[in-house]
Amino acid sequence: MKLRSNDWIVGLVIIVTAIAIVVSTMFLQQTSLVNKRLGVTARFRDVGNMQVGNEVVIRGVHAGRIQEIKLADKGWVLVTMDLDKEITLPPDPVVLIQSSTLFGEWQAIITRRERVPANREILAQLADVTDAPSGALDGAVMPDIAQLTTVAGGIAGNVSSVAERVRVAFNDSAARELRASIRNFAVLSGDLSRTIKAQSRNLDSIALDVRSGAEDLAATTAALRRTMSRADSATSTEQVQRIVAETERATKNIREASERINALTLALQGTEANVRGVVVKADGILGKIDRGEGSLGLLLNDRSLYHNSDSLLIDLRSLLTDFRKSPKKYINLSVF
Amino acid sequence: MIERIGRAAREALESFGAAGKLAAEAARSSRDLRTWWPNFTQQARQLGVDSLPIGILIALFTGVVLALLASYSFTGAVPRYLVGTLVQKTIMLELAPVLTGLALAGRVGANIAAELGTMRVTEQVDALETLSFDPVAYLVVPRVLAGTLMFPVVVGVAMFVGLAAGWAAALALLDLSTMEFLKGARLFFDSFDVRYGLVKSASFGFVVALLGCVNGLRARGGAQGVGAAATSAVVQSAVMILVLDAFWAMVWLLGRAR
Repeated sequence: MKLRSNDWIVGLVIIVTAIAIVVSTMFLQQTSLVNKRLGVTARFRDVGNMQVGNEVVIRGVHAGRIQEIKLADKGWVLVTMDLDKEITLPPDPVVLIQSSTLFGEWQAIITRRERVPANREILAQLADVTDAPSGALDGAVMPDIAQLTTVAGGIAGNVSSVAERVRVAFNDSAARELRASIRNFAVLSGDLSRTIKAQSRNLDSIALDVRSGAEDLAATTAALRRTMSRADSATSTEQVQRIVAETERATKNIREASERINALTLALQGTEANVRGVVVKADGILGKIDRGEGSLGLLLNDRSLYHNSDSLLIDLRSLLTDFRKSPKKYINLSVF
Repeated sequence: MIERIGRAAREALESFGAAGKLAAEAARSSRDLRTWWPNFTQQARQLGVDSLPIGILIALFTGVVLALLASYSFTGAVPRYLVGTLVQKTIMLELAPVLTGLALAGRVGANIAAELGTMRVTEQVDALETLSFDPVAYLVVPRVLAGTLMFPVVVGVAMFVGLAAGWAAALALLDLSTMEFLKGARLFFDSFDVRYGLVKSASFGFVVALLGCVNGLRARGGAQGVGAAATSAVVQSAVMILVLDAFWAMVWLLGRAR
């Protein structure tokens, strides 16, 4: 009984464990024993990092897994895909393989040939039929993420270089100048706007003036028309001849008056020249007097002479007074 | 000092030599099916089935801790579904076989060494020989075969439990959905992972059982000798598990990586 119990328990544990491992493996590999699968083979020159078990998608939807990858003759690689039974391949299908994540996961995409990206390298791979295995779909490898990152790295380097140049060109002073220019431009825009508004008002005013001018012109035309009609009537009654004759006489009188005025003007010009000479001479004399030249200048400008003259007058006045008082003191008249 | 070093080297070489010799004898004695088969299922239950609880316990905590460690480590641009990838790969390729192997080295290796050592020091092994029983076929073959067969069973259960524990931890503690965890677990899964772990664990079971038998049959003296044999069996088994782990990685993983 004891031995049978051991046998039973050990057997049970082994069987259960084996089933658990197999079922878990199939679950993780997404393998199905029930549904029949559809095997599709594609040929490539190179499959990159594609591995057995990688995903196969059609229009972004999971359609199966890579079942087998093997080398074939003439430099080809055959990839067998295990697709779901319900899957219907698109018309004229091709297979593109590419990395699907940054972590090395690859996938195969089944798509229509006309939807293949217009990449020269991809199209060349699909068009390569040299010694191609029969019955296999055309396949191509999309650019690897490493290539893309290499290109992106180059672009980033160029952008960095441009940014550095911009940084050097636009230093603080350039930024200040640019800021000032923008401010000036804003002011200029404001001025321009105001000018346009003012000009617009002026244009309105000019338009009004033109309109009123046109109205005046129309009125003048009407008046001229009336005047012309009157002139027409006056011509017929010899009033015009009398007016013309009187006008000739008036013109002759005016011409004679003008000649007399001209003569008078010439006389006045001579008088003016004489006056100017007198004024110049007087100005010279006054200048000399002002500078203290000559007797009159000295008399006017020399303060001591003034004081001497003044004291002389005082002495003369006292002398006259004294002379009046006692003339005999000065005049000694004797007959004998 | 020099004598001591020389003695240790000689004893180590003797142990490996004795293990090789015993393995060869066991291979020869395995043809005597009638002698070892009645003991096989008993040893299989004792070494394998009875070891399941400790294997499950280790895998349970390992799966949870791995999920948490992965979530802690994967920050920033690393997608969170890679938690499933890390748990699946680490459990199946390394932690389930090695941690379970080390735990069973203590339990199974010590058990075999102590049992056979006691039989040796109490002259039960000699009695078997007197009764014309082949002690290798009767004692060693069923234990080595049971160890080789049942270690993968325990490790397989540990893989299953560890993955399930990591899944549960991701759902309950990391706010990860089942679809995310499964996407990560399936991302780089290959049936090779399972084969690698199971084959490695089978080699661990073979070595642990064999070293337990070698040390037990070489036990001398009384209870002290039995204790020393059990200790040697555990230490040598642990060392050999790590050596075999590196061996399989270099031989099998390195070959696939190229």
